[in-house]
Amino acid sequence: MIAVKRAKQGDRIQLSQLKKGQKAKVIQLNTCDRAFRRRLLDMGITEGVHLKMKKIAPLGDPVDLELRGYELCLRKADLELIEVEVIS
Amino acid sequence: MRIALVGNQNSGKTTLFNLLTGTHQKVGNWPGVTVERKIGIIRGTDFELIDLPGIYSLSPYSLEENISRSFLFDEQVDLILNVIDATSIERSLYLTTQLLELNIPVVMALNMMDIADKRGIKFDLETLEKRLDTTILPISALKKTNVFNLIQTIKQGDYRRNLYQHIYDHELEKLIAELEPLVDTKHPRFLAVKVIERDPLFESYLDEKVESLVNDYSSKYHRDMEQVIADERYRYIEFVRDEAVLAKQQNLTLTDRLDNIFLNRYLAIPIFIIIMFGVYYLAAGPFGSWTVDLVDGVITHLKEWMEVFLTDVNASPWAVSLVVDGILAGVGAILNFLPQLIILFILISLLETTGYMARIAFFLDRIFQKVGLSGKSLIPFIVGSGCSVPAIMSARTINDETEKKMTIMLTPFIPCSAKLPIVTLFAGYFFGDRSGFVAASLYFLAIIIILVSAIAMKKILFRGKTSSFILELPEYKRPSLRYLWFDVSSKALAFIERAGSIILIASIVIWFLLSFNWRMTYGVQVDDSMLASIGRLISWIFYPMLGELSWAASVSAIQGLIAKEQVIGSMAIIAGYSSDVTQGSLLFTSGIFRFFTASSAYAFMVFNLFSAPCFGAIGAMREELGTTKRMWKAVLFQTGLAWLLAVLVFQSGRLLEVIL
Repeated sequence: MIAVKRAKQGDRIQLSQLKKGQKAKVIQLNTCDRAFRRRLLDMGITEGVHLKMKKIAPLGDPVDLELRGYELCLRKADLELIEVEVIS
Repeated sequence: MRIALVGNQNSGKTTLFNLLTGTHQKVGNWPGVTVERKIGIIRGTDFELIDLPGIYSLSPYSLEENISRSFLFDEQVDLILNVIDATSIERSLYLTTQLLELNIPVVMALNMMDIADKRGIKFDLETLEKRLDTTILPISALKKTNVFNLIQTIKQGDYRRNLYQHIYDHELEKLIAELEPLVDTKHPRFLAVKVIERDPLFESYLDEKVESLVNDYSSKYHRDMEQVIADERYRYIEFVRDEAVLAKQQNLTLTDRLDNIFLNRYLAIPIFIIIMFGVYYLAAGPFGSWTVDLVDGVITHLKEWMEVFLTDVNASPWAVSLVVDGILAGVGAILNFLPQLIILFILISLLETTGYMARIAFFLDRIFQKVGLSGKSLIPFIVGSGCSVPAIMSARTINDETEKKMTIMLTPFIPCSAKLPIVTLFAGYFFGDRSGFVAASLYFLAIIIILVSAIAMKKILFRGKTSSFILELPEYKRPSLRYLWFDVSSKALAFIERAGSIILIASIVIWFLLSFNWRMTYGVQVDDSMLASIGRLISWIFYPMLGELSWAASVSAIQGLIAKEQVIGSMAIIAGYSSDVTQGSLLFTSGIFRFFTASSAYAFMVFNLFSAPCFGAIGAMREELGTTKRMWKAVLFQTGLAWLLAVLVFQSGRLLEVIL
């Protein structure tokens, strides 16, 4: 596996590549699974929303995101479907 | 008047429900499904309050959300009471924007105001009310603040009718306005939005005219309409938030500081082990067993007293035996575990309400997702080492249907506390000094069975279904005594009800079969009873794991269906001792059980531990899996696997005995 470098501001990456403490803006949800996409939308992951990679589980997966004033846990595999732009 | 209580999970909805209705509650199920439905009467009124499941949206993709929306859409609801978590207003209002589209007045209870105040979150309620066109009451269900005013407002009908609802952009609003007269329903605006979203459950409303209108507009967006609608809702919420909510930016909250410890890379798992050890020390350990002895003592006294009383009033011997040996012995055996269960319920309720349970699911998900389960499966497994019944019930929190079903089918494999006497007796006599090692090996075997079965099920039964894990990580909260009391007492009552129904009937049946022969003569030797002849009929099933055609062992294993510790009780009765015998030396030197060897003892333990659980747990599986067919599948799967394993253990054990 190639070690993933910390993405810089303005980079477009998969949400799964975001490091702990980094903030990003959601660009696109790349999933065809309607039910799953709707769940993400319902939980507030809409295009343009700002989120922060807040906590990572002790075993590396899943991760905890902060958005819209609350915290949401998702698996890394699911985060790969979310394209984001790094803010900081 | 009928009022629906709607809100997110963790919004304090249940606490508010209990506060508003007190003890005037009825618990049932929603029609056709096993999701709990609670109905109560609001204190001091005759208004019916219906507690809808905790949901985040009214989408068509989850069972809870479907139940909620078909209830709101199809039935006569006069008012929606929407509970909002004041500390996460944005996500909460998303559901509100959907509720407002129904043609039903909404009153919003802005809950957890005490916490919001402490955190310096300020609300401009007037603006918020104006923007959403609803009546909003700031409350704290936990501290009982302002709840009286909420009841008064509802009672006097003194609330806004929310008529102004423009939240989408100009184009969409125009489309909705055009669609509204075309759809035939009580809730035209709600339905208009649903047809725009192309909601699969409302496809029947898509006639040619509606379809072409929707298509015309959709083509302008170049995006999926479901996404456009969600984006628009959140855009409006952000606008309202900016105008009416003032939140201080907090850098490190208490929750963050606690999580730095509880979710620390190195500390998380040791802390988890210590907490679980504490739970089991209290529930299953010395303290737990002390309570079991206490209840056992009471029931033994009751049995003695009942026997004397019934004999005094000249009841016939069979009637005395029915009450004492059948009903009291059977139901008593279950009630023995009640205090232990109550301790377990209290501790689990505490783990849940403080927010720690969500952390467990979060950090152990990694391990469970490998075998197709989720971190949330761990909760039933932990609870299951106490008792499978509440464990199976706690699988409700798993939102993925496949994971939920798998968890329910696998939970009974965890050796529950009622199975411990079997292990103690057999391992103690046949393995002596190494009995601790043998007991540990059985727990280890249980874990392997669960993991292997999960992988197999995922590969065979639920092939190709990928699942996702979406969990809100709530903030740590101080537990509320009032909620604890409601939660624990309702679970304990459900357990007692089950003991009083299914187990009562089963106990009577077994007693009857054991006390009579086929000529219906009472008081025969166990050898001549109907149960013995049934045992002889099925003893061939157990032959490959015992190496002996034993009706007594067969019948005892079957009795494990009433309660697992009954296996030992039954063996003792058949061998001619009192059912309290715990000394293997007495039991296994009696003629009827002398055939047991180390191999067959281990095999018999394996069968009893992993085969179909007791009736109580089977009943719970029936409820949670939804259909009797699925329940049978689970029971056959468990029993078949247990039989195979037991035979494998016995045959390879015998082979080893020959070689060594």
